[in-house]
Amino acid sequence: MTAKRFGKTMVWLRRAVQIASVALFCWLFWSARFRDDAGPGPFTNLLFDFDPLILVATWLSAHAVAGGALLALITVAVTLVFGRVFCGWFCPLGAIHHFAGWLDSLSRRKRRKAQPYNRWQHAKYYLLVALLVMALFGVHWIGVFDPISQLYRVTATVLYPGAQYAIEDGSTAIYHADPHVGPVYATTVTEPVYKFSRDYVFVTDRQAFRNSALIALLFMTALLLNLYRRRFWCRYVCPLGGLLGWLSQRQMLRLTQAHGACKECGRCATVCPAGASPEKPGHWRAPECFGCWNCVPSCNFNAIDFKFATPFRRPSEAKLDLGKRATLAAGAGGVAALLMFRLEPQAQGRTYNPGLIRPPGALDEREFLQRCIQCGLCMKVCPTNGLHPTGFDAGIEGIWTPKLVPLIGYCEYNCNLCGQVCPTEALKPMGLKEKQQFKMGMAVFDRTRCLPWAYDRECMVCEEHCPVADKAIFFKPAEITRRDGTKVTLKQPWVDLSKCTGCGICEAKCVFRDLPAIRVTSANETRHPGNQPVLAGFSGESYFVNDTPAQSGSEETTPDPYGTPPESSNNPYG
Amino acid sequence: MTEQTRRDFLKHTAAAGSAVVLAPLAMAQEAAPVSMVICRYPEGGPVEDNAGVDAMAKTMAEKAIEALGGMGRFVKKGDAVWIKPNMAWDRLPEQAANTNPVLMATLVKMCLDAGAKSVKVGDQTCNEAKKSYPRSGIEAAVIAAGGEIVYLDENRFKEYSLGGKKLDKWPLYPEIVESDIVINVPIVKHHSIAKATVCMKNYMGVIGGNRGAWHAEMGTCLADITRFMKPKLCVVDATRILTANGPTGGNLADVKRINALAAGTDIVALDAWAVELLGHKPEDIESVLAGSKEGLGEIDYKKLAPKEIQLS
Repeated sequence: MTAKRFGKTMVWLRRAVQIASVALFCWLFWSARFRDDAGPGPFTNLLFDFDPLILVATWLSAHAVAGGALLALITVAVTLVFGRVFCGWFCPLGAIHHFAGWLDSLSRRKRRKAQPYNRWQHAKYYLLVALLVMALFGVHWIGVFDPISQLYRVTATVLYPGAQYAIEDGSTAIYHADPHVGPVYATTVTEPVYKFSRDYVFVTDRQAFRNSALIALLFMTALLLNLYRRRFWCRYVCPLGGLLGWLSQRQMLRLTQAHGACKECGRCATVCPAGASPEKPGHWRAPECFGCWNCVPSCNFNAIDFKFATPFRRPSEAKLDLGKRATLAAGAGGVAALLMFRLEPQAQGRTYNPGLIRPPGALDEREFLQRCIQCGLCMKVCPTNGLHPTGFDAGIEGIWTPKLVPLIGYCEYNCNLCGQVCPTEALKPMGLKEKQQFKMGMAVFDRTRCLPWAYDRECMVCEEHCPVADKAIFFKPAEITRRDGTKVTLKQPWVDLSKCTGCGICEAKCVFRDLPAIRVTSANETRHPGNQPVLAGFSGESYFVNDTPAQSGSEETTPDPYGTPPESSNNPYG
Repeated sequence: MTEQTRRDFLKHTAAAGSAVVLAPLAMAQEAAPVSMVICRYPEGGPVEDNAGVDAMAKTMAEKAIEALGGMGRFVKKGDAVWIKPNMAWDRLPEQAANTNPVLMATLVKMCLDAGAKSVKVGDQTCNEAKKSYPRSGIEAAVIAAGGEIVYLDENRFKEYSLGGKKLDKWPLYPEIVESDIVINVPIVKHHSIAKATVCMKNYMGVIGGNRGAWHAEMGTCLADITRFMKPKLCVVDATRILTANGPTGGNLADVKRINALAAGTDIVALDAWAVELLGHKPEDIESVLAGSKEGLGEIDYKKLAPKEIQLS
């Protein structure tokens, strides 16, 4: 078989693998969802586990890795042999960019121009250096750029909700208008589509996310840049591509370029999406090459082909030369960025942001940020749409990390999905009982708005919804004098500080919809003893004989929030 | 529309009244349909005993509907039926925050046997529906019985003109409202403002909008929605009742086995009966009182001469 024919087969095989990898991503993304009580699908972290950048960066910043992440060593091994085939064949984000570039080439009548190697392709290596230096000092910003993380984030917060909105709102509009021609109703098509997508595709109720605009904008920009250079993102920016490129300097599968046979027509350069210089005999750039095989069948003279070589043989003359000075500068840039991130009292742990309510199981803020890769999977699985990406409320360092927004959705008492799907255990995986003990914050009444406090009317919606078995919201009767002088006894609601977990269902259900009259703040959160106004496990005991409080339902038995839950919580009814 | 409804109820009340008058007449007793049935087993038993409670619920539902004249009295051939339980909470059956699942399944089956075209079950939940439906046990039971489970879509509520005393317009769920018959099947629970929640309060699972806003004027609002919904058949689940920390519950200590069930056509009478189980006088419950004053039913349920069925 000639190199050209074999190359053609490989190109089609590569396309099939790319489609399969996107399909796999879609399936994995979909499988991360609530399924009765069975927990999420078993492989939700698979793609993250194969990502060596997440492995390295998490290990640098948190000095710990999730067990499955060792699968990334397979990716490393494959790269050492075959080069950046992860980028060319397996990366679902790469496949999407590849597809975008292909769409563009379809729309242009003229033959594609070559997009040769450019020095700026070094940018991704410098970005990698900067990010790894930051990780070493505990700023885990890898997720902002990592392709897997980015794809999950944009799918979770932009693409999926966008598709859901379009389908559901569109079919609902048709359902209400009910257009028809004679006996042919539009709804006979739209309703089954709507029901199928609702029941089998989206599974959760309609989602929309705060701070998703910037995520969408950056993704769209990256996609559009394919018009300028095919696979712009993968060529210039992707730090995972940089890491794999660095590893593939002496890859075993190498492009052999026959000096004599090559007529220097440059045809291969027009199909190379990576700027790997296949058109320059002896100057093929292994670290840039995606191993996509486009160039091999494009050559009419069978002058180029992939052949195996031992890693000891010197690779081509075009080796990766980043330059000491530039590399050091990149590292220094990382340190500078890190300092900039930390020049913020909150980033130094000196203040607590009341609105920054982290999901259940979140580690101490610093440790949390050292692990969270902003992938948005927790937000995707949250059944109430309660988890949202932060803007800058966790600092620049914590951009797009998850926070609970009770106004939109509360933390469901019998749900611990977010901790189960977190790929880096930034959210500690917890059993349901432990999760129900975990305090995310505390509810506070706004007595200037609350109906029984401010407007002499009865209301109990918050108390009604409080899921804690004996209610963290309780009433005290109070005699009120109304405007007309009549007296009335009202039940005024209070929060039991020792029972409230900050789940936020009270805020989510409060009758005030703009600014609820009961709101959760991060105070009293389990993960920060420094943010607890009182010591955990208040017993009410006192050395003064007469000061023992009347028996109330508010005693708490566990002083250690991470310790064994109190006996009462062993009953399965919470 | 309002007048129509009111007239319906006047007729209805007249029918109930005449039933009372006619009751002593042995001849007429068969002709006048029974308007309320109470089934009882002896009280007590372990709260967690699901199998025991389920068996009781099934038997009592069958006996009660039979005594009312069979499901055919309410469900006609080809009817679209909606059965509205309490399944708003992410709680297990024994926690008594949701209607008994076997009771639901039994009713679904009876409706299908009576020739219903479709029997749908759904509720506007307080916790996440995707969690509440399965955990209540109702989803599996209804599907097994041949019914259809419907997840309400937040975006599909439609504004209806209630023409009520308090509420002029309110968003309701069209699929429920436009059913041929809505069977109201609540569980008896404590409620911290309304004191008790039974049939009338159960209609809150049909409404959308800012539901919380109803709580400040619960009685009038519930009377308005009840008038609009024109109840034809209600079945009250009092196998297990929630006596405190309602309507959410959670603690088994708050659950009590009453082992009873009531069914009938008079929603106010049924609510009046049910609140007594929680230790209240019917007149002390605002919604029951409002229902009675608005002519939606008879607060003194004994006047209806409810048929009592004692089981053992």
